Amino acid sequence: MKVLKTYIIPRLIQYLLVIFIGITITFIIPRLTPIDPVQSAINRLTSYGGAYMEPEAVASMQNTLKELYGLEGGVVEQYFAFWKHLFTFDFGPSLSMFPTLVTEIIANSLPWTFFLLFFSLIISWIIGNILGGLAGYFKEKKWSNVLAVVAMSIYPIPYYVMALILVILFVYIFPIFPMMGGYSVGIQPSFTWSFFLDVLRHSILPAISLILVGIGWWFLSMRSMTSNIVAEDFVTYAEFAGLPKNKLLYSYVMRNGVLPQITALALQIGGIFNGAIITEVAFSYPGVGSLLQKSITNGDFNLMMGISVLSIIAIATASLIIDLIYPLFDPRIRYR
Amino acid sequence: MKKKVWLVTLVVLLVGIVFSQVLPTIPRSETLIVDNLHGRVGNPGSFNLWIPGSLAGHGPQQVLMDALWYVDPQTGEWINALAAQEPVYNEDFTQITIKLRQGLYWSDGVPFTADDVVFTVKNIASHPGMNSSAQLQMYVKDIYKTDDYTVVIELNSPNPKAHNIFTSLVYGALFIQPKHIWEKVENPLTFTFNPPVSIGPYVLDSYDPQGYWFLFKKREDWQRTSVGQLYGEPKPNYVLFIYYGTDDRKVAAQARHELDMIFDLTPEAFEVLRERNKYSVVWYEDFPWAWMDDVNSRGMFLNNARYPLDNKDVRWALTLAINIEDVIISGYAGIERVSALHSCPTQYFTEIYYDPLEPWLENFTLDDGYKPYDTNVAYRIADWAKESYNIEVEDPEAVWGIGWWKYDPQEAEKLLLNLGFSKDRNGRWLLPDGTPWKISIIAPADFEIDATRLAFAVADQWRNFGVRVNVETLEAGPLWTRQALGDYDVGSFWGGMLASSGIPDIWTFINGFKSDFYTPLGTAVTTPNNYRWKVPDRVDQIIDEMGASYFADPKVMELAKEFYKVAVEEMPVIPMVINKKFNANDNYYWTNYPNANNPYMANVSWWAEFKFMLPRLEPTGRK
Repeated sequence: MKVLKTYIIPRLIQYLLVIFIGITITFIIPRLTPIDPVQSAINRLTSYGGAYMEPEAVASMQNTLKELYGLEGGVVEQYFAFWKHLFTFDFGPSLSMFPTLVTEIIANSLPWTFFLLFFSLIISWIIGNILGGLAGYFKEKKWSNVLAVVAMSIYPIPYYVMALILVILFVYIFPIFPMMGGYSVGIQPSFTWSFFLDVLRHSILPAISLILVGIGWWFLSMRSMTSNIVAEDFVTYAEFAGLPKNKLLYSYVMRNGVLPQITALALQIGGIFNGAIITEVAFSYPGVGSLLQKSITNGDFNLMMGISVLSIIAIATASLIIDLIYPLFDPRIRYR
Repeated sequence: MKKKVWLVTLVVLLVGIVFSQVLPTIPRSETLIVDNLHGRVGNPGSFNLWIPGSLAGHGPQQVLMDALWYVDPQTGEWINALAAQEPVYNEDFTQITIKLRQGLYWSDGVPFTADDVVFTVKNIASHPGMNSSAQLQMYVKDIYKTDDYTVVIELNSPNPKAHNIFTSLVYGALFIQPKHIWEKVENPLTFTFNPPVSIGPYVLDSYDPQGYWFLFKKREDWQRTSVGQLYGEPKPNYVLFIYYGTDDRKVAAQARHELDMIFDLTPEAFEVLRERNKYSVVWYEDFPWAWMDDVNSRGMFLNNARYPLDNKDVRWALTLAINIEDVIISGYAGIERVSALHSCPTQYFTEIYYDPLEPWLENFTLDDGYKPYDTNVAYRIADWAKESYNIEVEDPEAVWGIGWWKYDPQEAEKLLLNLGFSKDRNGRWLLPDGTPWKISIIAPADFEIDATRLAFAVADQWRNFGVRVNVETLEAGPLWTRQALGDYDVGSFWGGMLASSGIPDIWTFINGFKSDFYTPLGTAVTTPNNYRWKVPDRVDQIIDEMGASYFADPKVMELAKEFYKVAVEEMPVIPMVINKKFNANDNYYWTNYPNANNPYMANVSWWAEFKFMLPRLEPTGRK
């Protein structure tokens, strides 16, 4: 009961507050941009040079689109309507792909983003932390320094450069991997073994690019953490007490070092809902990243808010879950 | 067991690598692969092209839908597609009679008749929010059929331009809906029209739920389409519209013969492609390669409602401060056609407007008697090309345009000094009140790269002339919004009055400039007049007279010439270069694309008229 009052309830309140503020900001920011979605839509209609509309027809269309897009009335009115719809996860129609519902568009793309980023993240997290932990613990060894140099060389490479290098190498020079997409052209998605393999083949290159860059970051942060922990008194004491090296490494050093990495992992999992814009552009991979980018340039408020709201809820939820289960990883924590 | 699974996976991956091809299930030699104009389509399952936000250039308008009429801007050819002949107006232009082509069928076997046309107009007019609904409400008093292949439209007021809505002048048009499908639809604004019933020569075979590709299969009864009746059998059995990604991807794909037609590349990307694929051709076989007959010109759109650009002498001074030769050579590596008139110097418009107006241009004088026209631009660029590429161009004017305005900073200076402008000790211009003259040019960021380049090239020219200039690049959303509100000094834009088509009638491009539609700054325009040109009375008269004339009336051409003359005198925008394209075609599997040696139609894969190219393509026989 005490835990509920002193620990769980304050965090739940904080969680709801974060979501409320985040979503409110998400609502306000697009409206502060110099973008008029109605104007964007009309421009899309007439920008190809041949679609002529009389000025009177354009004026009439402006009014109709405002109504269809739910942009009539004042900002306050729109704000309350927005919250009303939000409780049913109704973000309305996409403005640039009218009248397709935002939820439908996101639902179509999210699994691809999730599949690629989640597995890439987990793989890079595991490999990066194991290597980083070992390199931090055995920092006098030659191989540890070699690994550090490699990681430090890879980590600063901008992601898009890494992606481009991989594309040039494995798509152009050695055409091992496919040119684009999540699966082969002409094939329809299905729950079959062959389709799964096809998807796997298409996701290897984007995944490798994410993993390579990701490993660098996890490696360096884990290495610096374990380097510090190794010098802590409790490790020195355990060493003098004659504990086996493996026990020292995994139970004393790695376990302590990995705690902040778990928090970072949770936040990054939440961030998956934003998609990886550069990955999708570089590899023409289907996902929500390129949708988000398109929604911003097209002034598609509804799609922009749909993806942002999802992201805010995901990150806030991930933080809450981590907060709640943190004592399981770190028994030293006792909330009073 | 685990080992076996991994082994199978590895084998499948390797097999995929070795036998990788675009369409594993369809012979490559039977498929035309076309670049998807729209990139990734966010709602690929919607084929409802009649609603805002709908996309049409990824195949639906090119191979599934059809319009009553088309005009080819390259040649000026008028094409009766679903209609059997041109529209017939009554004497006072209050009624149109449309004769329809017989023997056409929808892909589900239902005949195409007047009922479809009547239904389409009524359906769209009665649903506000659908594209063209507002226009049809404005135009149409009544529509009915007199027999299965004759439609009569009664108009609300005399309107000799009403057929334009049914005509693909450039990109698309109002496509006809199959009545037997749409009449059962409860809400046409939310109907996806999937699977689409086709009146074009192909049907939808399959599409990527993620929106990257769309595959279309030739109809067995292609003879029962307008394309089949007019031009014969389309040669490819399949047409695949696909988005590979950025330019580098497209170049790689065409170099590997996995992409037959590319929408547009940067000159640099085409340079790489040309070196890697000898089969890639755009328009000219040699320098300058590009297709320069797209229907829009680019220019500097001067905000006529902002001081000091509200003064025509200032606008002319800025024009004469531009060395167009320098812009073409430095900014575009010599690959651009100059555009002196406020229209687009396509092959067709050059014939009907530029050539006839050249004597007038040569004799045209500013108020002080100065003759600003320069007839030698194309020849100087040709000399440069000869030096740089060792090529001899037979007719430089056909490539680089008939002429432009002189580069004459002294005359430009004279014009400004007469208005009270002065220079500071660094040689930079001050306004008559002594404050520095600053100009900001807004331009697209990350799209329409040629417009961005033009902005920077002109900014350099004006800086050399002593004006403080900065360039602000913007994403599409803010750019269009600021353009509509008139929130800019100068915009590097295109289109509007600088457009052209395949008919001499330019009324659709200039109607919006009438004084009645003038919009003050800060209110979004409903016309192309985002630069707030306050037209002289003569222009109002020209527009009215042209608006009351049938498009084929010779008077229309005379009025258009008058309009161009006024525009030159006033120089509300500075027209500069044509909207060139590097739409590269791979001649490895398919050949006989339109090109400079055989310009039978516009070299376009993204317009609705693309369907008429398909029967004229030829397979090379390569497997």
